[in-house]
Amino acid sequence: MTTALIILIGTIVTYVIYRASKVVYKKWPMPFFHPLLLCPLILIGIIQLAHLHPSDYALSSSLWTHMLGPATVAFAIPIYKHAPLLRKNIMIILTSIAAGTLVAIGSSLLLSLVMRFNGDLLISLLPRSITTPIAIEVSKTIGGLPTLTTVFVIVTGVTGGIIGPYVIRLMALKSPVARGLALGMGAHGVGTNKAMEYGEQEGTFSTIGMIMAAGMTLIWGGLLIPSLLQITIL
Amino acid sequence: MVRKTITMLSQLAIIHVFYFAGVGLAHILSLPVPGSIVGLVLLLLSLFAGIVKLEWIEKAGGWLLAELLLFFVPSAVGILNYKEMLNWQGLETVLLILISTFIVMAATGFTAEKLYRRKRKGGHTQ
Repeated sequence: MTTALIILIGTIVTYVIYRASKVVYKKWPMPFFHPLLLCPLILIGIIQLAHLHPSDYALSSSLWTHMLGPATVAFAIPIYKHAPLLRKNIMIILTSIAAGTLVAIGSSLLLSLVMRFNGDLLISLLPRSITTPIAIEVSKTIGGLPTLTTVFVIVTGVTGGIIGPYVIRLMALKSPVARGLALGMGAHGVGTNKAMEYGEQEGTFSTIGMIMAAGMTLIWGGLLIPSLLQITIL
Repeated sequence: MVRKTITMLSQLAIIHVFYFAGVGLAHILSLPVPGSIVGLVLLLLSLFAGIVKLEWIEKAGGWLLAELLLFFVPSAVGILNYKEMLNWQGLETVLLILISTFIVMAATGFTAEKLYRRKRKGGHTQ
């Protein structure tokens, strides 16, 4: 088979199963049916049954992975449309994301120590709350394994997309700014996708939360994390 | 139908121009930021400067944002490559991520909600 044909098939199959998963989740909105859990599980089943190699599938679906880049660029649209709203809430955004990024790094570190994780695993876990490309950068800076970090970022996204609505209900988050920032900070793009279901304002705050979280983690990666690691390893 | 497809594809092309410009710029200046984020900033500046009109990109941009989960699917399937994750430590790692993500969302949301309420109260007394 030619590469073009493989990509055509992979693109279509992935799209059809993704659409079907969304229909299922809309009908039965249970955590287990979340599209980012159900769709990959079905695809993994197909790959196993057809005795395909995971890297063949990665190639065949590369068009969709590529779209993450342009999709990130497209986040400029909600920011542009809601610039006055963001300007009005800038202090809330900065303070909440500063708290969120510190809690993300701190809780990962503490839980790792409790669970006796160390070395590559621990370091690769630290930047996992942020969007993949920047998480990879931070992981490299602090001496983690970028591929392992990528896996953790995805797991964080899936988890966050599922538990996000429960956190919002449990913490009685009523304002669009709190809902959006919690989702964008906790589960990057997947959380932002969820936030857009709540409303356009939530989606915008989530977008800006996601970007700010990435930026701040980049700074912590250079300044704070190295010294934190030194203290905890001693 | 044909017209809609052409609109969609040309809008996607415009967004791609910014994406590739961002990737190129990040590479040339060896910025520690991924090209897609540089592209986002370039597009945002162009929108504010009026070089790009919102209508030129709104349809394709809306589609990209609405179908974001689709673009994560191949990476989620890619976890299959990590057989190491399918053991006790893998399960513990998922548990750690679950707890930590819960705490992060709760802390972020709590901070924002508190500040928002205080700001609103302040606004009323003025």
